[in-house]
Amino acid sequence: MAELRGSFGEARNHLLTRWFGTEDLHRLDVYESKAGGYTALRKALLDMKPAELVNEVKTSGLRGRGGAGFATGVKWSFINRDAPGPKYVVVNADESEPGTSKDRYIMENSPHMLLEGIMIAAYAVGANQAWVYIRGEYDGPHRMLVEAIAEARAKGYLGPKPMGVNYPLDIQLYRGHGAYICGEETALLESLEGKRAQPRSRPPFPAVKGAWGRPTLLNNVETLSTVPWIINNGGAAYVKFGTEKSPGTRLMSVSGNVRKPGVYEVELGQTFRHVIMELAGGPPDGRELKVFWPGGSSAPVLPASMLDTHTDMEALAAARSMGGSGGVIVMDDSHCVVKAAARLLRFYAHESCGKCTPCRVGSDWAVRTFDRILANEGSQVELGILERVADGLQNGRCLCGLGDSAGWVIDSTFRHFREEYEDHALRHTRARWWSRRPSSSASRSRSSATTTSSTRSAPAVSAWSSSPRDRRAHRQAARRRSPKEWW
Amino acid sequence: MSTKGTSDAKDAENGASKGPSDAKRAESPHGTNALPEHVLEEIRELPARYPQHRSAVMPALDLAQEEVGYLTPEAMSEVAAALDLDPGYVEGVATFYTLFHLQPIGRHRFYVCTNLSCSLRGSSEIVEHVKKAIGVREAGEVSKDGLFSYEEVECLGACEYAPMMRLDHEYYYDLTPETITALVVERRAPLSAAAKASRRRTPVAAPDKAPPKKRVPRTKKIG
Repeated sequence: MAELRGSFGEARNHLLTRWFGTEDLHRLDVYESKAGGYTALRKALLDMKPAELVNEVKTSGLRGRGGAGFATGVKWSFINRDAPGPKYVVVNADESEPGTSKDRYIMENSPHMLLEGIMIAAYAVGANQAWVYIRGEYDGPHRMLVEAIAEARAKGYLGPKPMGVNYPLDIQLYRGHGAYICGEETALLESLEGKRAQPRSRPPFPAVKGAWGRPTLLNNVETLSTVPWIINNGGAAYVKFGTEKSPGTRLMSVSGNVRKPGVYEVELGQTFRHVIMELAGGPPDGRELKVFWPGGSSAPVLPASMLDTHTDMEALAAARSMGGSGGVIVMDDSHCVVKAAARLLRFYAHESCGKCTPCRVGSDWAVRTFDRILANEGSQVELGILERVADGLQNGRCLCGLGDSAGWVIDSTFRHFREEYEDHALRHTRARWWSRRPSSSASRSRSSATTTSSTRSAPAVSAWSSSPRDRRAHRQAARRRSPKEWW
Repeated sequence: MSTKGTSDAKDAENGASKGPSDAKRAESPHGTNALPEHVLEEIRELPARYPQHRSAVMPALDLAQEEVGYLTPEAMSEVAAALDLDPGYVEGVATFYTLFHLQPIGRHRFYVCTNLSCSLRGSSEIVEHVKKAIGVREAGEVSKDGLFSYEEVECLGACEYAPMMRLDHEYYYDLTPETITALVVERRAPLSAAAKASRRRTPVAAPDKAPPKKRVPRTKKIG
């Protein structure tokens, strides 16, 4: 395994990552002997009733770490434990949000911590079978989970009588095949059922009608991995961390232009200045921080001036952003916000499942508009289109949040960096490649773009022309150019 | 009923074009099947693991892809038959997910992450270098020896090690042009030595042949 980059070892706020970095922690015997593993499961099965478990998690105030931040205990209580027939626990390990790698960090370091959390959750909601939906690209974590499940079966923790209690438990793995939309809970269920992953309309919610039409509890990897700590130490101990409404700690994967990228466990309520400047070491020498995404690419961006925003969900909502999946992407002043937004829109256009029209058509429209702007062929018209598309994508016009996320990218970059958009679209004063430093190797490798710049210097037609025919020819010329040119 | 007549006529017309694909099937090492019997057997056992047999479709397609290299129309219809599903349904699933390949690919595939976190740390240079090292011009193209192809993919979830990529079911971190060159050389070497004759899996793409024929959508066949 590659060297660990992130939190590990003893610290007050290392609830999850305390034992990370211990040699062979992924083995069951080491997890039990060194990290005190499976004590929470023993306590849950032998000493506690399912309702007590749900209450303990409710007391802890734990909120889902996948993106939406819904109260976990409340979600658990939605499942009618006494309903006849099978119930399922489905674990969302389809981590594909750009800039997020925390679930991989957990599964690679301590797969048994996740398994223990799953078993407790299954017992609490009355399920005997759990499914881990893991993304197809995660070969390493998949191998580790396969081994861990085999160990747990051999030890009897999974099987007809875990810890001697007559409550059969089983965990199965299901591999995804590369679709970002599967991170959305109902799309994940569709995929688990062997269909094209397109979100369902709600209600019915998965707690009533989920996987294979049965009541289903869906939780994120990090959420379930926190459960053993809460059961061991009590919900009241968990509330002592973090803020009143967002208690506890969370893993934040800091990436991009920082000196020490990594997955850091942060007590909620700390500032992003602490996360980015202290833990991750800040931007490289001679550069200034320009903008950061506080919760994966879907969270609206915040400029450097808002570095003192707190990491808890309420503070982020007040700053018109969100905690999302905890992936912090940092960008320094040598990069262009418009190009970054264009890259992300390309991502959303690629990953749109095609079910809802605003998302399918809008994201593609935005990509083409961005291409025109980045080709220095933009005008007030393009800016207007972007604003309208951003509005059309948002406000719950689609079944899931993918459309909203794409809209937020445009909307938030517009809000904070209007000037930069206008430089590109109206004044055409921005360089046309990713890095604006002519001396950097990045721009040199793209020297092939100079051919286009020479053709551009004497344009035959212009977006500003008064003749509609000229303007049309101009648009066609822009479309003919490969969008890849700008990357 | 007139539509039936025309579709029959079309079928008769298509008879000639069906010929070559049948001939190709007969040449394949597994007789008339795209998939060998032991793989089909494995696929038939899959549905028992899931509450509904439909869930077996993705693991089954995985097995088929592992065997053939990519998902040919024949392989997909055999998977459908083995699982008692509609061939169109299976194809619908295969076309949705990016890890199912419907075109020939190299035996070693570079999945280079080009999303924001990696782009900020120079993934575009890595892509350029991969292209040069394996000798292709664009994503999806297979190198002349049939060994390599590359794809630019979205975030692979290892952002702290950017720029990174996935190759042969492994992640490679902190990429530099040198590591790419080393990986390519490493994978080329055994082939140039003794292994050339005893290549077990023929390269999934025969590079000098014409690209595979575009499949006619089902709706058109029904006419």
